[in-house]
Amino acid sequence: MEDELYLENIDEFVTDQNRIVTYKWLSYTLGVHVNQAKQMLYDYVERKRKENSGAQLHVTYLVAGNLIQNGHICHKVAVVREDKLEAMKSKLATIASVHVYSIQKALLKDSGPLYNTDYDIVKTNLHNCSKFSAIHCAAAVPRTSAEVSQVQTSVQAGSQTPSDTNAVSVPVVNGHGPSTAKQTAQQPKGIMGMFAAKAASKPQDTNKETKAEAKEAPGVSAVSSKPPAKGNIMNNFFGKAAMNKLKVNSVLEQPKEEKEVVKPSVPVAEPESSPNPVVEKPGKKTESARIQQKDKKSKMKRVDKSDNEEERVPENLKKKRKRIKKLQSDSSDEEDVPPSPMPEEEKAPSPPPVPALKTELEPASTEVSAGGKKRKRKRVLKSKMFIDEEEDCMVTEKVYESESCTDSEDDFAKSKPPAAHKQPVLPLRKEPKEERKNLKKGAATANRANKQVSIMGFFQKK
Amino acid sequence: MFSEQATPTAQGLLAPPSAEASTFTRVPVSAYADCSQPFRLGERSFSRQYAHIYAARLIEMRPILEERARQKWGNSVALRKLCELRAGEKCCVVGTLFKAMQLQPSILQEISEEHNLVPQPPLPKYIHPSDELILEDELQRIKLEGAVEVQRLVTGTIFAVYGSEQDDGKFLVEDHCFADLPRPLPWNGPSSDRFVLLVSGLGLGSGSGESLLSTQLLVDVVTGQLGAEGEQSCAAQISRVILAGNLLSQNTQSRDTINKAKYLTKKTQAASVEAVKMLDEILLQLCTSVPVDVMPGEFDPTNYTLPQQPLHHCMLPLASAYSTLQLVTNPYQADVDGIRFLGTSGQNVSDIFKYSSMDDYLEILEWTLLAGHISPTAPDTLGCYPFYKSDPFILTDCPHVYFCGNAPRFQSKLLKGEHGQQVLLVTVPAFSTTQTACLINLRNLSCQPIIFSGFGTEDDDGDMEVGH
Repeated sequence: MEDELYLENIDEFVTDQNRIVTYKWLSYTLGVHVNQAKQMLYDYVERKRKENSGAQLHVTYLVAGNLIQNGHICHKVAVVREDKLEAMKSKLATIASVHVYSIQKALLKDSGPLYNTDYDIVKTNLHNCSKFSAIHCAAAVPRTSAEVSQVQTSVQAGSQTPSDTNAVSVPVVNGHGPSTAKQTAQQPKGIMGMFAAKAASKPQDTNKETKAEAKEAPGVSAVSSKPPAKGNIMNNFFGKAAMNKLKVNSVLEQPKEEKEVVKPSVPVAEPESSPNPVVEKPGKKTESARIQQKDKKSKMKRVDKSDNEEERVPENLKKKRKRIKKLQSDSSDEEDVPPSPMPEEEKAPSPPPVPALKTELEPASTEVSAGGKKRKRKRVLKSKMFIDEEEDCMVTEKVYESESCTDSEDDFAKSKPPAAHKQPVLPLRKEPKEERKNLKKGAATANRANKQVSIMGFFQKK
Repeated sequence: MFSEQATPTAQGLLAPPSAEASTFTRVPVSAYADCSQPFRLGERSFSRQYAHIYAARLIEMRPILEERARQKWGNSVALRKLCELRAGEKCCVVGTLFKAMQLQPSILQEISEEHNLVPQPPLPKYIHPSDELILEDELQRIKLEGAVEVQRLVTGTIFAVYGSEQDDGKFLVEDHCFADLPRPLPWNGPSSDRFVLLVSGLGLGSGSGESLLSTQLLVDVVTGQLGAEGEQSCAAQISRVILAGNLLSQNTQSRDTINKAKYLTKKTQAASVEAVKMLDEILLQLCTSVPVDVMPGEFDPTNYTLPQQPLHHCMLPLASAYSTLQLVTNPYQADVDGIRFLGTSGQNVSDIFKYSSMDDYLEILEWTLLAGHISPTAPDTLGCYPFYKSDPFILTDCPHVYFCGNAPRFQSKLLKGEHGQQVLLVTVPAFSTTQTACLINLRNLSCQPIIFSGFGTEDDDGDMEVGH
């Protein structure tokens, strides 16, 4: 008989699979109304006990009713074991409902496993969690996508703090009412799109463009928290300390996205005048603005960049090969540095990690292509001193040089301490030159498992 | 009360399966209007001083208090400003109260080197017998003594005192009065039973699973999965669920990233991330069945100052897909089925608790209603946004239901005012510790606690409240 099928099912679940069968679990598994599931469980218990009174079957019940406590009439809802059922029922003044909650073979010490069972089955059925419930709500309909975007824009507009209207002069600045200065719908969509994308757990590349504009400050303000290491092979070469964007396209995006996602609460400020929280010194502000612009440009021209990279790679490769032979730097080599990498190097020495990422690609790729170099390279922290012509001062920098001793060879990656002394942009031109020279000394050795990424990278790229 | 009519069919499910299982339709949302617009902040500028909020408060409440003063002490009572006081003359002054407290934590003292003070540990109460009351108005201030209960009052209250100035420059108070209940709202309540469920302090992410089963039972009762048919049909009459703050537990607030070395915390996730995911799932289950209003609380990921802004919907991707989910501010005001609800997540009441001798949350709640201001201690000891045009915490209309969340226990009282106001005061207990929620019947403004429990190893007859 069809009705008997559920009895067999329950029997199988309880006896053979040794499960805890709660009414909810049964309801989802068999696809029946919750009340029917409860009745099924009751029926099974009754029949089983009639057949075999010694059956090893433990039942928990749900009891609900009114209880007088502290002068209030409380409504109590409790899950009790069978042996405590009558005691609970007697405590309640009126009983509103009694039904079977679960059946299991073993005696339960506490109600933890019941919760776990329910949690698991609900988790797997989240999309239709009210399907077998006894109450239907007509108002509970998912929002249409039009409404969703409307909500997003209204939230975005309402919560924005335009930096350009910091002054009290703005009429609604008492904090009442949404701001009148709205971002273009594009930007909110970009940001919200990103959040929605995260929810869908698939970052969309289409959001790249808008994202690029929108997340200048968080993106560029070099986040000291590094994004989790991606399952990116290249990443592994640089080890954990490195935040690497070896592939400009995907990796550059991903860490930024991660950062965004990791910090959803970071207010998305406008690029122009956003007070970049990380950049503290006033002098750096202009630089950060420039960086942002550069970043913007770089992000926008991602495709171009990658092309450039490819082009440059063989160039540098050549150069690096040249340098390896020379072993030590000549000043003449400095002049050889092509102007094309210069724009990148003009980047301000704002906190290193972010810029460091981009430029590591070059050394990395060159190394990869360089392939089997026999010589070993070691990175050593050294102080390098040189005269800064612009400022007319001697500059001492701690720099990671890859030294080639008898066993190891030079490669150069400079890591600058974050409190870089160089504020103005101009001296950077000289600086990068030198560093460039140093970097070019050998092929990139960065492509080793334990090598640290150097700040050098960021002078090289772009 | 709730589910009394369920009694006849209580044992109905202890039977073989019936062919048809009945489903009940949730009562439709008849009249809902969100009135918490004053608590929503658009642009925020923190470049202002907090003096403006006190000035706005005084200006707005002065007429109300002068009216009360006339009612209480006669029409001919002299209403004076502090600058107009003459020694010995009996008059009435309206002003802001300031309580000079010795034990009040002061950041200036803490960082002052000359004092060499160790920062004071947080105390449950900061009152001290040596506290003094000072009345301030727009221009001056004066010390109060006499018939004022110094310990009970808190800074920021606007009230009127009747008395005279003494020769020593202090004001001897003979009587005082507060703004009293604001004007009543018309009654548009439903004619049949409609319930609103108030829960607060879910405390997700606490690391202990004690109240998890109870939370699940709560969701199941509301969504109509638990209970016999009678109870389910009663549950269908729950028209709204309001979550009043502290959805996340205090344990999610740990700031390991600040205290620990970076290499230890590199790959760790903030505890609140998991907790918010759990919250999202719970809200999804609720939202598919009933309209839910989610208020943020002290430990929730939103801003710290009052008024707390709604949680961002990106944190709740599953549940935000439903229009039944409403993310609202703290404090929250709304018209639900014609009944005006006003409530907070409890920060205002717990702050007054710290700085006043009043011990009972319900008493404090009632006192704030009578004082005409939701949170007088803001911005002095409670973080607040620097308003300057108006103070949104002043009570202008008398709500029908006035609640505060995260109270130590459940209490409720029906307060009746002189002009026909009827207010149901409810202190909603923290669910994570008490497993208790509140059901309010909108038809007759009655309130009933609903307690959930599982069973545990030390299950004994006397222990009914706590799960395990």
